[in-house]
Amino acid sequence: MRRAFAASVALVSLALFAVVIVASTAQARSSATKATTVTLSGWSAGKDEDDLLQSVVNTFNATHPSIHVDYSVINGDYPTAMTARFAAHNPPDVFYVDSSVAPAWAKQGVLQPLNSYIKKSKYDISKFYPGLLNAFKFGKNYYGFPKDWSPLATEINSAMFAKAGIRTPPRTWAQLAADAQKLASSNAVPGGKPICLPPDWARMLAFIFQNKGSLANVQSPAVTQAVNFYVGLLKRGLAATPTQLGVGWPGEALGKEKAAIIFEGNWLLPYMKSTFPQVHYGVAPMVKGKVNGNLGFTVSYSLAKDSKNKQAAWTLLSWLAGKKGMTLWMSKGLALPSRTDVKAIGGRKPFLVSGPFSHGWGFPNFSATITIMNNDLQAVINGSMTTAQMLSDVSKSLKG
Amino acid sequence: MSTATETITAKEKGSLFGSRMREAGWGYAFVLLPMAVFGLFFIYPLVYGIYISFFDWGIFGKVKGVGTANYHTLWHDPIFRRSVRNIIEATLVVVPLEMALGLLIALVINAKIRGRYFFRSAFYFPSLVSSAAITAIAIYILNADGLLNHIIGGHRSWFGDPTTALWSIVGLNAWTTAGTVMLFYLAALQAIPTDVYEAAALDGTGTWRTFWRITFPLLKPAHFFVLVVFGIGALKLFDQSFIVSGGTGGPVYSTYTPVLYIYNTAFKSFQFGLAASAGVVMFVAIFLLTLIQRATVGRSEIR
Repeated sequence: MRRAFAASVALVSLALFAVVIVASTAQARSSATKATTVTLSGWSAGKDEDDLLQSVVNTFNATHPSIHVDYSVINGDYPTAMTARFAAHNPPDVFYVDSSVAPAWAKQGVLQPLNSYIKKSKYDISKFYPGLLNAFKFGKNYYGFPKDWSPLATEINSAMFAKAGIRTPPRTWAQLAADAQKLASSNAVPGGKPICLPPDWARMLAFIFQNKGSLANVQSPAVTQAVNFYVGLLKRGLAATPTQLGVGWPGEALGKEKAAIIFEGNWLLPYMKSTFPQVHYGVAPMVKGKVNGNLGFTVSYSLAKDSKNKQAAWTLLSWLAGKKGMTLWMSKGLALPSRTDVKAIGGRKPFLVSGPFSHGWGFPNFSATITIMNNDLQAVINGSMTTAQMLSDVSKSLKG
Repeated sequence: MSTATETITAKEKGSLFGSRMREAGWGYAFVLLPMAVFGLFFIYPLVYGIYISFFDWGIFGKVKGVGTANYHTLWHDPIFRRSVRNIIEATLVVVPLEMALGLLIALVINAKIRGRYFFRSAFYFPSLVSSAAITAIAIYILNADGLLNHIIGGHRSWFGDPTTALWSIVGLNAWTTAGTVMLFYLAALQAIPTDVYEAAALDGTGTWRTFWRITFPLLKPAHFFVLVVFGIGALKLFDQSFIVSGGTGGPVYSTYTPVLYIYNTAFKSFQFGLAASAGVVMFVAIFLLTLIQRATVGRSEIR
């Protein structure tokens, strides 16, 4: 009795197994003749973006019958989730890489250098803004193409400016300080400060570039001067940090009318529209110092070193970052084009003018260095550390 | 087939040794699965972590052997040193605070007062809520424009000021953890036999004296347990400082903890060898502390 039962169980499972084998080989055969599957992943920046990328991918699939793109969003902590995928040698073929994490990932060898593909297909990379493309270039190798970007701009509260009798947004450091002074003396920002400046090198570095400084020579007088200007605005009471204003970030300070001037990117626009639609504000190009200088916050499409379908993945990557793919991606104005031959939707000119002089946001030993940069900057702002000490720490960490 | 089984059973029944063996066999069979899980998810990673700490280890694994260089780097890293200082300071304050609060609540609830079941749930409630959710709410309450400042009339950003950020986390933790500590003390209080209190009452001992001379010493096993378990918990502080500082350990390194250091080194800088060495240091430190606690507070438990 028992034996018969065992035998029948074995028989049934064998039959099931056979069915599965036949079915899967049949599927494999049909997909082999039909299309190569390429996986595409990124983090989610909201449902609008996810839907838009899916529709861009649908267009690609429709026009490329030999390739089928499977797009999926990675939720949660993106770098950590991707690290696990890399370590398991099972990453998506094409994926987002933030410019800040690009140096570390390139160094770890998880990204495929694109040089041979660029050469073979004679891909024109001259249309990308050089500062953004260089954020993904290490040594002679290109590790990705910027899919979109945003620089910083100067955003002002129009009503507060009118109250202080200022007609135009500040264009230079001198005007910035003078306008802040006027806003303060006319009490145009009750319960706040004229400017909101975060203790963050992701803002201050733009001022460093405007003073002809750079991270390559971070202990130079040019950098010291720029830091002292930035911190000076805070110490003179013309600016306050978001923490001091009781807000999470400068955008919230603008929305809650606790600051009249902030420096944020394109991401501010949808935020203000959805959260503070009643606040009237203007967007002007980023202020300039001795020269124009700005940061470019950018994300690339990159190719996995462990991709099993590199040629098809390259076809997808080059199309998405190409004129056609990027034009579709820009259709809703959620981001700015990183190519000069793709137009942005209206009203984005104050951002786009920074294209030629924006430096990609990222540097070697990024994670450890940004921790030191921002903690030290907080110490410089509260007076427990000198600018020279901070720059010495940063210089050491950049080399480490 | 069946005859063979019968033979063995008969033989086993014959000797005491055999039946013991069989009992032990069943015992081992029952612990086999938990031990396999324990081995796979605790022992193996622990040993492997020690191994990794002697290498330059990247996303794709081993890069090269570096001997004790990771430990050397760690020793000279001002951020790691600061994180160790932070966690020692926080632990020295938070554990006694949790114990005092927990014991106080347990004593109150153990008294025969009206509505004690309600209070027991109410005090335990913060321990049930996820620390991430509580921390997110606390950020609003302790903000410069937050509820706390409205009440006390200040304008301090408690998490934004390097002199108060860590202590705000300590206060938050003491509050959320006191409920769990209370449970352990409550169980221990109820285990104290009533005759010792009766004897004390007959001798005319006052409440205060009864507490210090009878209740408090008899709670020693609970003290030891709470000290070890919550001491280890305090040393592993991560989520609150991660949320409050956005992972930077700021303001001015004041909320940087060793576990945050391990996380950032591994998953942001991808230096897994260095992160593993920090993990080993933490493991050794916690292990030694537990031994010391056992040797001091724990011994009196046996006496």
